[in-house]
Amino acid sequence: MDAKLKETILNPIFKGNPITVLVLGICSSLAVTVTLKGALVMALSVIVVCGISSLILSLLRNTIPGRVRIIVQLVVVAMMVILVDQVLKSFEATYAIDKQLSVYIGLIITNCIVMGRIEAFALGNKPWPSFLDGVANGAGYGLILIIVAFFRELLGSGTLFGIDILNRFGYVPNNLVILPPFALILLGCIVWVQRSIQKDLQEK
Amino acid sequence: MNTNNNVYTVIYTTVIVVVVAALLAFVSQSLKAKQDANEKAETISQMLTSARYGTKAELDKLGNAAKLDKYAQEIEKAFVIDLSGKVLRELDITRGNIEVYSPKALKRQNYNIKGGANKTGEPELPVFVFKNGRTVVPIYGAGLWGPIWGYISFENNSATIAGAYFDHESETAGLGAKIKDDPSFQQEFVGEVADFSSANVFKIVKGGAPKDAQGKSLVDNEIDAISGATMTSQGLDAAIDAWLGAYAKYFQGSQPGCCQGEEEPKSEEE
Amino acid sequence: MEYLSLFVKSIFVDNMIFAYFLGMCSFLAVSKNVKTAAGLGVAVIAVLLITLPVNYLLNTYVLAPDALIEGVDLSFLSFIVFIAVIAAIVQIVEMLVEKFSPELYSALGIFLPLIAVNCAILGGSLFMQQKDFLNIGEATVYALGSGFGWFLAIVSLAAIREKMSYSNVPAALKGLGITFITVGLMGIAFMTFMGISL
Repeated sequence: MDAKLKETILNPIFKGNPITVLVLGICSSLAVTVTLKGALVMALSVIVVCGISSLILSLLRNTIPGRVRIIVQLVVVAMMVILVDQVLKSFEATYAIDKQLSVYIGLIITNCIVMGRIEAFALGNKPWPSFLDGVANGAGYGLILIIVAFFRELLGSGTLFGIDILNRFGYVPNNLVILPPFALILLGCIVWVQRSIQKDLQEK
Repeated sequence: MNTNNNVYTVIYTTVIVVVVAALLAFVSQSLKAKQDANEKAETISQMLTSARYGTKAELDKLGNAAKLDKYAQEIEKAFVIDLSGKVLRELDITRGNIEVYSPKALKRQNYNIKGGANKTGEPELPVFVFKNGRTVVPIYGAGLWGPIWGYISFENNSATIAGAYFDHESETAGLGAKIKDDPSFQQEFVGEVADFSSANVFKIVKGGAPKDAQGKSLVDNEIDAISGATMTSQGLDAAIDAWLGAYAKYFQGSQPGCCQGEEEPKSEEE
Repeated sequence: MEYLSLFVKSIFVDNMIFAYFLGMCSFLAVSKNVKTAAGLGVAVIAVLLITLPVNYLLNTYVLAPDALIEGVDLSFLSFIVFIAVIAAIVQIVEMLVEKFSPELYSALGIFLPLIAVNCAILGGSLFMQQKDFLNIGEATVYALGSGFGWFLAIVSLAAIREKMSYSNVPAALKGLGITFITVGLMGIAFMTFMGISL
């Protein structure tokens, strides 16, 4: 059992990475990877949302009618995200955090990783493995986000976390890098590197 | 249990939807007062930023109560005008019941300025005059993904811009979000002069407004767009044009030397 | 806004895929051959064409401030309402496709349910809310235009990928990797439309 749990956790981070292998959650990975900070906030939110909604839906899995499962899944995920947003918004201490996060609310709800993992895993597994699967997939997604954001912020703005790195050496920020198409090209390169290492993932 | 039965499906869906809607409505209603208080303090700190009472980061270090205190202490007067620049009513500026225009209230006025199906009445435009002589007016419009809004302050009722602060709901981090996060973009507005006589009050130009050696733009009402954020820049440009255009009569009528436009137009009406 | 210019604008200038990069997941996964791609493209047009006007009506008459009851602002519910409407309509489309075209149904696989989280669909409704269309006609034309733009994008990518299967691509880059890069280059090409004002 332990080996299986370990597999559940490690698989999504490398071999079955949601972005580079399962092709899920691409839209948001283009939008939030201009800055490292944005990528980090998004990665953390997706880990939390994916883990908890997998847990809830796994608990409900035997009661959900097959034909309306998508509606139920979406409603639960959307409710959770909006709830967190509303609560964070009402305390003085967390209001500033919420202002950072509110930008990503829509992107989190429609992130296919959340839905994809619920469909593929949580609806057929016990709560604890489902929770781990959600968290691990969120982490695998976050890893790619951070790699892409690292290059885009470094080359596109010459900074990392907003702190000047390259500009002081006379680097002129490359505007092409901050446009969304470049994120796709970077993703292509990441897939290239990953599949050169893991030859079994290569397509015929 | 047969979960594919029609009755079960319908009941299950109804229960889920009702429970979720009730929960959200309850949370939203019970937290509304707190959220509104936070939003009001945020709006006030944005106005104070644009009137140059400190940078946004400095003002954010104050708590909600301190922001309200500072506003009550620094505000000279606040009132609502119509399109002709006539004062419709005063806004409360006493510490206990400060009246400001939240983004939601601005949205409604934005419909009224633009006209069309969502119009609910004639525009009511707020003006905030601070004790340091700066007049703050709001702007509101659509960016790439969602609404953008902000506050622009003018020196002593002239057309010269003293400061600006913009905020947004969901612009792309690192690109469109720069209207809020990049102080150097907001700094570009300072010293520019709005052209209230034209429909194009202010221009945010792609590809560079002409500049002098110090990087200060040469044309009075033009600044650089944010590179990579064409749509947000265009949206901001349109929002500024629409709103400052609506204030044009007020600013043209209140150039230095003229009446402050409060008592006299009123008596004419009566 | 005139209907024709709105239509053209939503296909090319505001293309869901190449201008906003919405709906990428299914776009990348279901573009291996032109036939399935066209099938999904039609499904997206259909779903957009139904959900957008429905959401427009809900937004105007229920969710907007003061729309239902004076002084009540339900806009905090818009996300959940939009997504519930979309999910319900996707479910209906799924049942219809399963009944009338089992072949297409098996080809689309997991991606039919995933249309519900296709960002292009929710994005369409959110853009609608933000663009303040004057009437339901504009909302429908916008839905048709952006759906058609999505269709166009997925069919052209599928055509390129069919051709590409004869090219000599480095082994590790085959399939997904080269597709990412192709879409990136297509995106750059589509940026030319950005400057057009209609």
